Amino acid sequence: MKVVYNWLKDFVDVTAAPQELASRLALSGTNIGSVENGPHGVVMDAEVGSNRPDCLGHYGIAREVGAIHKLVLKPVSPKPAESKNKVSDAVKVEIQAPELCGRFTARVIRNVKIQPSPKWLKDRLEASGVASISNVVDISNYVMLELGHALHTFDYDKVRDHKIVVRAAKLKEKMRTLDGVEREFDPGICMISDGDASRAIGIGGIMGGAETEISFSTKNVLIECAWFDPVAIRRATRFLKLHTEASTRFGRGADPEMAELASRRCAELILQLAGGELLAGVVDVYPGKRAPKKIQVTRKELLRVMGADVPDKQIEASLSALGFAPVRVDHNRGAEGSLLAAWECAQPPWRAEVEREIDLIEEIARIYGLDKFPPRLPAARQGAARLPHHEAETRLRERLIGLGYCEIVTIPHVAEDRDALFRPANVSPARLANPLSEEASVLKSTGIVTMAAALEWNLNHGQRNARLFEIGRHYRLQGDKSVETPVLTIGGTGEAREKGLYDSPREFSFADLKGTLDALGELAAGRDARGLEWSNGGPEWLHAARRGKVQLGKGELGVAGQLARRVADRLKLRQDVFLAELELDPLCAAMQATKAAWRYQRLPRFPAVERDFSLLLAEGITFGEIKESISSLNIPEVVSIKAVDLFRGKNVPAGNYSLLVRVTFQSREVTLTDAQINHFAGKIISVLEHRHNAQRRAS
Amino acid sequence: MKNPPNFGLSLADQGIETPQQVASLFTTVRQMFDDAALQVSDESALADWRNAWLGRRTGVLTMIGDNWLKKAPASLRGDVGKQFNQLKLYVETKFEEHRQRIEPGAEEAVLTRERVDLSLPGVIHPIGSHHLISQVFQEIEDIFFSIGFSVVDGPEIETPYYNFEALNIPEFHPVRDDMDTFYIDLPKGAARPLLLRTHTSPMQIRTMEKQKPPVRVIVPGKVYRRDNPDATHSFMFHQVEGLAVDTDITFCDFTGTIEYFVKQFFGPSVKTRFRPSYFPFTEPSVEFDVSCIFCGGSGNAAGGGTCSKCKGAGWIELFGAGMVDPAVYGFVNYDAKKVSGFAFGMGIDRLAMLRYGIDDIQVFFQNDVRFLRQFP
Repeated sequence: MKVVYNWLKDFVDVTAAPQELASRLALSGTNIGSVENGPHGVVMDAEVGSNRPDCLGHYGIAREVGAIHKLVLKPVSPKPAESKNKVSDAVKVEIQAPELCGRFTARVIRNVKIQPSPKWLKDRLEASGVASISNVVDISNYVMLELGHALHTFDYDKVRDHKIVVRAAKLKEKMRTLDGVEREFDPGICMISDGDASRAIGIGGIMGGAETEISFSTKNVLIECAWFDPVAIRRATRFLKLHTEASTRFGRGADPEMAELASRRCAELILQLAGGELLAGVVDVYPGKRAPKKIQVTRKELLRVMGADVPDKQIEASLSALGFAPVRVDHNRGAEGSLLAAWECAQPPWRAEVEREIDLIEEIARIYGLDKFPPRLPAARQGAARLPHHEAETRLRERLIGLGYCEIVTIPHVAEDRDALFRPANVSPARLANPLSEEASVLKSTGIVTMAAALEWNLNHGQRNARLFEIGRHYRLQGDKSVETPVLTIGGTGEAREKGLYDSPREFSFADLKGTLDALGELAAGRDARGLEWSNGGPEWLHAARRGKVQLGKGELGVAGQLARRVADRLKLRQDVFLAELELDPLCAAMQATKAAWRYQRLPRFPAVERDFSLLLAEGITFGEIKESISSLNIPEVVSIKAVDLFRGKNVPAGNYSLLVRVTFQSREVTLTDAQINHFAGKIISVLEHRHNAQRRAS
Repeated sequence: MKNPPNFGLSLADQGIETPQQVASLFTTVRQMFDDAALQVSDESALADWRNAWLGRRTGVLTMIGDNWLKKAPASLRGDVGKQFNQLKLYVETKFEEHRQRIEPGAEEAVLTRERVDLSLPGVIHPIGSHHLISQVFQEIEDIFFSIGFSVVDGPEIETPYYNFEALNIPEFHPVRDDMDTFYIDLPKGAARPLLLRTHTSPMQIRTMEKQKPPVRVIVPGKVYRRDNPDATHSFMFHQVEGLAVDTDITFCDFTGTIEYFVKQFFGPSVKTRFRPSYFPFTEPSVEFDVSCIFCGGSGNAAGGGTCSKCKGAGWIELFGAGMVDPAVYGFVNYDAKKVSGFAFGMGIDRLAMLRYGIDDIQVFFQNDVRFLRQFP
């Protein structure tokens, strides 16, 4: 809300310079976005909180200024001259929906002269960002900006039977509003109707109708100043998608007592600027009159919440200036600073949101100054804990970064067709009921979707070498319940090793991805845990020859492989892309268990001996099978079995491949002799020949 | 004089049995070396001389080591070893002296050829990087952990109860208009609607439901608001929620905690300011400002004019916070008369943008490796 500095001076004799005033207002709860010196003097842009409808007018802001600067707030008591004719003979008001409209006042002015507004009025409206229309319409806007209460003026002669009926809208009732739009209503919306109530002439508290609008030919004016239920107004604005200055004020909770005063102020200004005859009195239907609430505030509670004291005088001055009329009610009355001090306050009608002791404490504190409460650190009381998998996650992260992967963070909203590419069968995705766009209409049901998108972004921006990982979640539905699963997603493409001074380049391959995952799996492998285990298979979106399922213990942990060409083409990825996703919780749990089981193993005192076995194997026999066969011999001295070279092509018969297996022997008790090693080697050769028809190659 | 030393025979074979004999033998050897040195006048002689004495297989020193030292009786080995080492040092030093005399610039030539070019890179290991958001999360977590705050997390898909109602935001409350919300499309007949949390505050309720005071937690996580994306808005962003509830938490503890955090995060010279504000789930509520870290709070840009970051105000708004509204305790069965506490929710993306001078929030989520590698 625009606050015109000179307008404030109508109500408080403020002497503080605008900048200083702005700063004091900000520190007491009315934040000032900007202070501008324009053609109509200084204008401050006040950011009024949704709990402070009273500050949506200059009078309310002036009350704040008065409280901060200890200045008297000048009363507003317009006394317009009235004719002998009674308004009650000229207009009838009936409220049929008191739950929607708590008060309705009407005044009538005859024989007004509708004309442009005088300069001072135009200036103030312009400074406030409101366009000038005609004197009567301008005055209703002016009073709203002054007192914070919205009013509406009707062309009295267009109101049928000079009767107003306030009622709920009929189902699918229609009316054209002031802005020329035909709108449809529902029964929760308050309508102002006329005559026999069949015709709506305004939406209560939101906008008037077009048919009874003030025009330059208007002679007689009916001033409506009412009070509407804030919840009903907010519901209506959301239903209608229509927000107005009036709906903002009523929607936040206007002051019902202000209705009559604002009407009177409006009449005063109309007489002044448009002439005419004000009919005597006011038609005032007030079914929603509230008894003033009493609230107590005690020093004890103030201290308990704020942690430091505020002097009696300060408490009383602030609460008085804000209209709470504090009265000491404790037995120690007269004892200043008493710990037992208690004040009874009356809730002013413009502060309906102040209902509890805590609300008054906030009032006291904000006027006193929040900087007067000395900062201190609270006692810790108990040990602090990290997230259960914090350490494991940190180790995964550090390891991946060491392996050259950059961590990414993605927005989980993706396009339906993208998600469908990677979504496992039988998975229900979490779709949005109100997405911003088709491109962001589903929450990813696997982290692969956004990982692929991140790789795509990099390839499209000239970054062809990328290794990325994300520690995130995927989102799925199970019936009407949501399931969020922490996952680790990995992606790699381009060169695993770039051309350098000392190295030749090498493309990222399946082996890089597998090596990465096994480096993580190592953290979950121990004496009783085998770490990650791989098996053939995997989803269709992975290359049928270069994919695998990853298992940990008895559970499936995830999948890894090269993106299928078909999918890569669809995403316009022109180079090989490798992807993996692992469930994070079981991996972290296994890592923690592994670490808990760590025990030192004394270093061997006797030398290790390596033996290489150069094998010619039929295609299809895996290294895993070879390893398994060697292990099955149960030779305790075999401490490692490694594949160190693999060869196909020249000198290798078709349908075969050559594999160099290196076995390391070591004893914890003795230095192994050649004879012993030869004996072991013989057993190994024999089992490999026997089981796999492996032929030895001369090496 | 006795026979000249024979490098091919062991000491015993040469009849040397006492330390005195050993000392005398080595003196003779040194004399032989010096005599030979006198004959060295050019590079080829130097090479021959070097070969004769320092050659790896048949050099005098190698032979002495193999035949005299290794085969020496235990009683003499200490003396032989000592003499041998002295001789070796002498030979090497002398040889170097002669070499430098005979080959001026030889050493320089070798060094020039072999000297590493320090402007060339070493072998490059392409190390990855932490995402900046993770780094800021971690830093904030560490700061609060150091003063006794535990870390918790929770669902991003929430119910309206946790996201709104239990936080004292009933339906049609005006602040709901400021938090435009994504809803999940659920099958017909679903028990309750689901939404994407608009803030991390639902975890206040979930935490208090689970544990009794004292409570000290922070909650890092993703949050969602249905705003159209631009340079400062993303419909997904990150927050860290904080909550402390105890029998003796006051506003002073609240401001003290926030000040501690700010000084740790932005540096000790940064000033803090609390402005009264309004949130349905805190009271008193505040907006919290720090002195502008770009202009030092002066409001003036270094090159003249007003600071563009704080628009001349000298302050930058950081986040909203406050004392937990007593109404919230009603939802978690805490006794509002006995406990009090504070809560805050800070936007992480904004903090990171402020601190690192990032002018477009979208770069966080595009994940261009050129961006990712800027903050390893």
